[in-house]
Amino acid sequence: MKRGLRERIILLLPATILTAVVVVVPLTRVVYLSFTRVDASDGLRIQWAGAEPYFRSWQDGRFLSSLTNTVLFSGASVSLELLLGTSFALLLNRRFRARSFVRAAVLLPWALPTAVMGLGWAWIFNDQFGVANDLLMKARLIPTPIAWLAEPGPALVAITIADVWKTTPFVTLVVLAGLQGIPAEVLEAAEIDGAGPFQRFRLIVLPLLVPSLLVAALFRGIQAFSAFDIVYVMTGGGPGGSTETLSLYSFQNYFRYLDFGYGSTIAVQGALLLLLAASVVKLMTRRWEGG
Amino acid sequence: MRWSRVIPLLVIVLGGCRGVEHRRENGPPTISFLVLAGEREVWNEICQEFSSRHPGTRVSIVEGPNSTDLRESIYSASLLANDVSLDLVYMDVTWTSKFAGAGWLLPLDADFPESVQLQLVKAAVDAGRYRGHLFRIPVRTDTGVLYYRKDLLASAGIQPPRTFHDLEDAARTLQRPPELWGFLWQGSQYEGLVCFFLEVLSGFGGFWIDPDTLQVGLDRPEALGALQFLKSCRSGREAISPPGVTAFKEDESRRMFQDGRAVFLRNWPYVWRLAQETGSPVAGRIGVVPMVHAPGKRPAGTLGGWGFGVSRFSRHPEIAKKFIHFAISGDGQRILCGKTGYAPALLSAYKDPELLRANPFLSELERLQELAIARPVVPRYALVSDVLQRALSSALSGLKDPGPALSRAARETRLILRGENP
Repeated sequence: MKRGLRERIILLLPATILTAVVVVVPLTRVVYLSFTRVDASDGLRIQWAGAEPYFRSWQDGRFLSSLTNTVLFSGASVSLELLLGTSFALLLNRRFRARSFVRAAVLLPWALPTAVMGLGWAWIFNDQFGVANDLLMKARLIPTPIAWLAEPGPALVAITIADVWKTTPFVTLVVLAGLQGIPAEVLEAAEIDGAGPFQRFRLIVLPLLVPSLLVAALFRGIQAFSAFDIVYVMTGGGPGGSTETLSLYSFQNYFRYLDFGYGSTIAVQGALLLLLAASVVKLMTRRWEGG
Repeated sequence: MRWSRVIPLLVIVLGGCRGVEHRRENGPPTISFLVLAGEREVWNEICQEFSSRHPGTRVSIVEGPNSTDLRESIYSASLLANDVSLDLVYMDVTWTSKFAGAGWLLPLDADFPESVQLQLVKAAVDAGRYRGHLFRIPVRTDTGVLYYRKDLLASAGIQPPRTFHDLEDAARTLQRPPELWGFLWQGSQYEGLVCFFLEVLSGFGGFWIDPDTLQVGLDRPEALGALQFLKSCRSGREAISPPGVTAFKEDESRRMFQDGRAVFLRNWPYVWRLAQETGSPVAGRIGVVPMVHAPGKRPAGTLGGWGFGVSRFSRHPEIAKKFIHFAISGDGQRILCGKTGYAPALLSAYKDPELLRANPFLSELERLQELAIARPVVPRYALVSDVLQRALSSALSGLKDPGPALSRAARETRLILRGENP
């Protein structure tokens, strides 16, 4: 027994040390830094400031507006992705010619580096040379070009569209896996009982898909909430800070203002909010599985 | 646990690391710095020339991204980690207070005494001072200028503009939007917007931050006038700038002007050479004047430019300083500016016959350079600049009214300058 315990400890040790070094230590440091004030005018000096940085952030209009932007962006992009991803998954779940080719092709946007595709989308939404305006004008949907990335509302819409394009494949993949887990017998039985396609979807497919949808929403939510690269490349947070996300604001504090204290305060609060949201999803999953 | 096996393994792994370290030490002393990819070639030539004059030393160049902000972040991350791999910091004119303030740079007063400083463009040298010490030596300067289409103005019998009114009138007369717009500038929310605004503000007789008294002039009538001028450029039926100008950076505006789709362009001197290249639709059809101003006020161009600081963590600071001396020498400047068309930091280079042959624009640049105004060297400059960028951008995009946006920016700037948080 004693030997077993020792062996277990030895076997767990590498993983424990690795986790400690790459997760626990930096995490503790960020939490510590979030309670400090940094002065970078004469060497880097870090002073304990207690909860003051947190109070500062709650009165900081820029923090609050970047929080709003982040919530708007993640809410819009994740719900659109769930909607589109589920539709694509349902299509791809049917039998048709060249199905495996199409399934692979659908994944393509997801495989592209975000910064590269962000640059591409910035050109698409360019008001002078962009394809978006050209198509909309040819279709006579708009009379004059829209300056997509120069106006607060359209800029957020443009970023959301780019993000939806990129990450819908991920949702498709997760939901497709969920669909394949639904036994064909159940659907057949329903068909024999006289259930139409919509009834089958609403009463059988959708309820059985809920766990997959929750997983997809959770993963995508976490990613979207910490969105950085796509915003940095497409608008840099502009115009007028209307697309600045929490991660971007935190990054600006770290690297542009050398204010690690406040950057950490923002990062910690973002992480806490995510944790809260994730717990809610987890609770929902448990209730679903329990009921 | 077979420690007897693990320990030799550890020794090999760690020993291997030491070995790499050693090899670097044994080769010729090497200094290195990070530049944007586009400048690699010209710097390579300067480095080779330097190495041939100082045998036994090597200079290596690390290629970085084109975005200034990204390179600033790379340098910051490297210096934060006390990294020894970058000996020189190739700095934008606005980085001085941040890098010197953080204690990352060596003071250079002793190695570049007044006799050397006097040979360089004064405003550019001054931008490298922080709390009484010199931390950055300029190697090339920049100043905002106004480009115009000589052919279009001449055919309508219009003189190059001097005042804001002249500019608006000429633009309205000549433009045919959307094919040909009146006036292009940099309106995206970034440092370039601050540069352009500063020129307009100065043309209205106003100021941003007084470097001596630290007074803030953003809530004065001149600042409001300047911002309203910017706003009027792209609004209403009489707009002279495309609506998308508030997402433009230097190169978007340059491309559009070079495609022949605008009458006026505010930009940096680098545009001249590109616009005159064979194949450019506007080659031989452009002229340059200082930025326009209000009647009775002075024209101004924002000072830009690049220079070197020496990293505190460098293992070879002496070689690094020698390299800077070479870069600002006549020979160094001839390579740097002859190839690229950049404005030299060395005063005598403006009279250099070889450089003048390669770039006839140089004599005009010298005159324009005298109108240069510097951005303030204050601690937390990036934060101060971001406050202004957001105020300008939110007023231009209609999120806020110019008056409240500016008075809020003024209030926040005063707090930051006092060392408090906005």
